[in-house]
Amino acid sequence: MTINWAQILFNSVVTGSLYLIGAVGLTLTYGLSNFPNFAHAELITLGAFIGYFVAEQLGLGLPAALIVAFLVTGIVGFLCYRGIFQPLAKRGATIIHLMVASIALGFILRHSIGGIWTWRPLYFTTIWATFDIGPLRVTGLWLWLIFTALALAVIMHFILVRTKIGKAIRATSSNPELALASGISVDRIIWLTWFIGAGLAAIAGIFRGADTQIWPMTGWDIILPMFAVAILGGIGNFYGAIAAAFIIGLAENIGVVGLIALGLSTTYRIGIAFLILIITLIVKPQGLAMLFRRA
Amino acid sequence: MDPLLYVLDLIVYIGIFGIVALSLNLEFGFAGLANFGKVAFFLIGAYTYALLSQTGLPFYLCLIAGALISAIFGLLISLPALRLRADYLAIVVLAFGEILRLIVKSEDWIAGGDWGVTVSPAISLMGASHRVDALVNIGLVYFCLFICFLVVQLLANSPYGRAMRAIREDEVAAEALGKDRAKYKAQAFMLGSAIAGVAGGLYAQYLQCVLPGMFMPMVTFTVWIMVLLGGPANNWGVLLGAGLVELFDRGANMAKDYLILPIDPSSLQYILFGALIIFVLLYRPQGLLKESRIKTKAIELARYGRSATKNKGS
Repeated sequence: MTINWAQILFNSVVTGSLYLIGAVGLTLTYGLSNFPNFAHAELITLGAFIGYFVAEQLGLGLPAALIVAFLVTGIVGFLCYRGIFQPLAKRGATIIHLMVASIALGFILRHSIGGIWTWRPLYFTTIWATFDIGPLRVTGLWLWLIFTALALAVIMHFILVRTKIGKAIRATSSNPELALASGISVDRIIWLTWFIGAGLAAIAGIFRGADTQIWPMTGWDIILPMFAVAILGGIGNFYGAIAAAFIIGLAENIGVVGLIALGLSTTYRIGIAFLILIITLIVKPQGLAMLFRRA
Repeated sequence: MDPLLYVLDLIVYIGIFGIVALSLNLEFGFAGLANFGKVAFFLIGAYTYALLSQTGLPFYLCLIAGALISAIFGLLISLPALRLRADYLAIVVLAFGEILRLIVKSEDWIAGGDWGVTVSPAISLMGASHRVDALVNIGLVYFCLFICFLVVQLLANSPYGRAMRAIREDEVAAEALGKDRAKYKAQAFMLGSAIAGVAGGLYAQYLQCVLPGMFMPMVTFTVWIMVLLGGPANNWGVLLGAGLVELFDRGANMAKDYLILPIDPSSLQYILFGALIIFVLLYRPQGLLKESRIKTKAIELARYGRSATKNKGS
């Protein structure tokens, strides 16, 4: 079997782009609110289903689906924080309580989605042009995915470094008390982050759904790599997340080649993210954050 | 279905999940560890039991082996994360459970993959009716429950258990007093995993099969509801929680035959479970029964003074 390394590299970029878009919200809310939101998986799923509803059931097409899903899921994310996690934190819930609550919320969302739509897989009907560039096989969807991830990276970088809001996010993330004392409305910054994070999760969900299929476990299927991205990149660290997303994308795609060579099932590809997670925890629990001091 | 058998079946379930809830109580209630992968150790116990019982080993050895292997895995998987914050452990163990289920699902040679394997019951009497079988199972399960309860209860009130609670409350202070927190946590996690392994073995032999579908993340979550609802760090509380959650589960299952709902009833059940847990966390985070006070001579002396303890009767 000859291995098309260019294709593997390209696929890694595609996978990494998806993980980046999906994990940004997870890592930022993790950093700001100090607990991992396991319901992030269901925000991804919810986004995919809202996207499906707008694009297929209403027939408005993918661009409209992306926008609507971003807004609706963003609002749901905000409401989840405002309605559940913030009151819990105010009542002095521990990190474990917050995590349990997020899993509970995930179950509520997942089974609501399953009840409203269906547990059978659904497919986006948009057909993407496939073309060859040299040795590469490329679809239009993948190009859009990479473009979106790039745009996200550039825009987020601009926001974090140049705008007042971005500086407030960074300040809140590194020291909430000091940020509050400096006149930053910490609550509003956290709300905004939950909104944006959930909205981006929805975008990731739609891309994932358009590439494969959607069902109520869509988000849960890819939550482990998301956590690996958040931890390898350093919790709450946007630049670390960019690097980590592409590292894990690369590791997974190379790992799949290895799995096939070993004659193992490719469903183990999430095991690769798990390995990276464990190694990060043993070697350097802060992740790559050391490399990216600024954010 | 035979209504008496239904009740007996419910009692067995409460017993088995009571054992799992006790193990989570040891880890979360007393030691403050977030084990989000309880189902993984439940699975290890069940599959160990299933595989070993095929070789003809007596059932108690299979149960013990399940506990040991579960404990070893518990130690290995928790070691990278124990020195870190609670959330790292939660993520690692949750992922471990998912991967383990994936492995037994896709590797047919372990135990039949998706289709699972059948397991012979631990104690089978010749020509016994289903009711008698259920009664035998109740005896076995509640014997194990009793032992596990005794272990956890004695441990929680011992100096060792007090050190564990101290670590839960304030790691730094406990460490400053010379308690090796990583050691205590690892031991609590190992013991918790072992107990869950026993429950897994009992579950496998009771259902007489093991399937990957029996070990969904929902199992972990159900056990968490039992512990949080009943009262973390109170062993009677978590048993009460196990009973209530199982009753609720059965009640919901029965109700769905009589109710016409716009939503799939099993989905509704999960949604209600989720809502229940958030409600408990918001309004009664200490659970139904509060953490029981530690009873020792020294504490009584400190509280009432020497004379008070002498005249306590009056």
